[in-house]
Amino acid sequence: MERSLSHIALFAALIAVLGFVPQIMLPFGVPITAQSLGIMLCGTVLGAKRGALAVLLFLALVAIGLPLLSGGRGGLGVFASPTVGFLIGFPVAAFVAGLIVERSRASIGLAAGIGALVGGVIMLYAFGIPGLALMLDKTLPEAALMITAFLPGDLIKVVLAALITQGIARMRPDALLSRA
Amino acid sequence: MLTLTSPRETPLHGWPAGVKLAGLCLFTLALFQLTAPLWLVGVAVALALGHLALGRDIAAAGFGLLRPLWPFALIVTVWHLILHDPSGGAVILLRMGSAVAAANLVTMTTRLSDMLAVLMRLVAPLSRLGLPGDRIALAVALVIRFIPVLSDRIALIRSAWFARSLRPPGWRLLVPAALAALDEAEHVAESLRARGGAG
Amino acid sequence: MSGTQDQAGIELQGAGLTIRGRVILSDLTLTLTEARIGIVGRNGSGKTSLLRLIAGLVAATAGSVQVDGVDPARDRKTMLSRLGILFQNPDHQILMPTVAEELTFGLRQMGRADAETVARAALSAEGRSHWADQPVSTLSHGQKQWLCLMSVLLMNPATILLDEPFAALDLPTEARLTRRLAALPQRLITISHAPAAVASCDRVIWLECGRVRADGPATPVLAEFTEAMARLGADDADADLSA
Repeated sequence: MERSLSHIALFAALIAVLGFVPQIMLPFGVPITAQSLGIMLCGTVLGAKRGALAVLLFLALVAIGLPLLSGGRGGLGVFASPTVGFLIGFPVAAFVAGLIVERSRASIGLAAGIGALVGGVIMLYAFGIPGLALMLDKTLPEAALMITAFLPGDLIKVVLAALITQGIARMRPDALLSRA
Repeated sequence: MLTLTSPRETPLHGWPAGVKLAGLCLFTLALFQLTAPLWLVGVAVALALGHLALGRDIAAAGFGLLRPLWPFALIVTVWHLILHDPSGGAVILLRMGSAVAAANLVTMTTRLSDMLAVLMRLVAPLSRLGLPGDRIALAVALVIRFIPVLSDRIALIRSAWFARSLRPPGWRLLVPAALAALDEAEHVAESLRARGGAG
Repeated sequence: MSGTQDQAGIELQGAGLTIRGRVILSDLTLTLTEARIGIVGRNGSGKTSLLRLIAGLVAATAGSVQVDGVDPARDRKTMLSRLGILFQNPDHQILMPTVAEELTFGLRQMGRADAETVARAALSAEGRSHWADQPVSTLSHGQKQWLCLMSVLLMNPATILLDEPFAALDLPTEARLTRRLAALPQRLITISHAPAAVASCDRVIWLECGRVRADGPATPVLAEFTEAMARLGADDADADLSA
């Protein structure tokens, strides 16, 4: 019990801290934030349930007014902004990524990559695009078009999430709760 | 810990947090029913005046919090100019700005502890699903406690990197950062156990 | 558990600890009743594992461990009032964001309704009331160590386990903490690699490779320990460091 709770809390803190580290800028002002990688890692490292709870805990702290989203954003306003769908999709993304790593028999790097792609991109977009469409009064294809600029960055993140999870597995095999 | 709540007390700080949040929900729902640009202009002006009435610091902070919306504002503006539908674009922009500004106003005028109390009331039904509120409160406290600890750890990892490399660590930083979080989690679990556990 | 005066103390019967096939501690049979006990040993000798075993943070994989007649790994609730631990790194121990919350944490776990009052009273008795709502991240290392000790003392355990309590403390802070600890009525079990830290103990146990190498009054045990360490240090270090 203590271990679950402490891992959930520490990974929620990790997502927050990764919002403060410098980000890599892609063209069109699209940042690759270490923070969104942190969301994927919650799933691939902690597994489905703990990963999703860590992300939910992080979002709860953002909602009650801590400026923990990358760029110092936070408060209730971010849940009224056009990207609300992505925020709602975050815990689902971590859950699905974790579930795939837990269930897959593939090597940890490959499983984490597939998990990050299906959870962190496909599931996340499945929530983010309708949110965007609703908030900006656009059709789904129009909303999807608006975020195509993010796709290359998100695919890079999938590869990075796989490499990082593999790195953790190599350095501390017992620590990977998703494969425990 | 730094919060978005205004340190200067305004009359809105005194209102019960639950009332403000319920009001915000109703306001946002109503906002999405409005389609006439003139009505939305009225709402936006009223919100701006409301901010100013609470003080210029609130107005300035509120304006600052709207800044991350600029990419969307740009996309919507260009989109609707190309479609020759400026009033349609104005409706979207005014609605987006008003919804976000109103939500931020509640955040700025509600203390973290009051917000936390509302959160605890909202998650209370979860105890029947095996997630007692005190455990959630403990988790929240742990996150606030360990954000500065992990932040220091990552700063140390960065300096250790720069001590032996000329290039910035980039994504590679995340492996030791995640390991640091995993290690801290084991220590916290042990300390929790030493002092009575998580129930 | 009242009326167990005859069982007071810490009793290890053939206790051992094996983690993933690696033997960490083996065949420890000890009865610890003295007021001040020191445990010395080199890095990796199993000192900290022994402390974790006594504290009930890990369960023995062989033999038994009893604290005042209770299995510390099983009955955590009873242990809260029997045993306190001061970890080596205060940052591994402090769980709450502010000083007052940290002080009340353990008391609340014990079910004390007056936790807040007790904590604030303790702070003001120490002349540090102004610390109550301060974030712990603003405290210095020595101040954090002090906070950890206060949090443990508020729970009023009969025994306190100290893991290298003076590591990373400057000399004045170390002197203050030494004085503070010496005055405590509790049984103290101090773990250290430094003979000086346990020199005033009633009994010293020297641990080597997870076994007791020597056990007895401080002076002879520490003399033997210091001599052995000096001899090892004088040897060519390569054999040791490349192991």
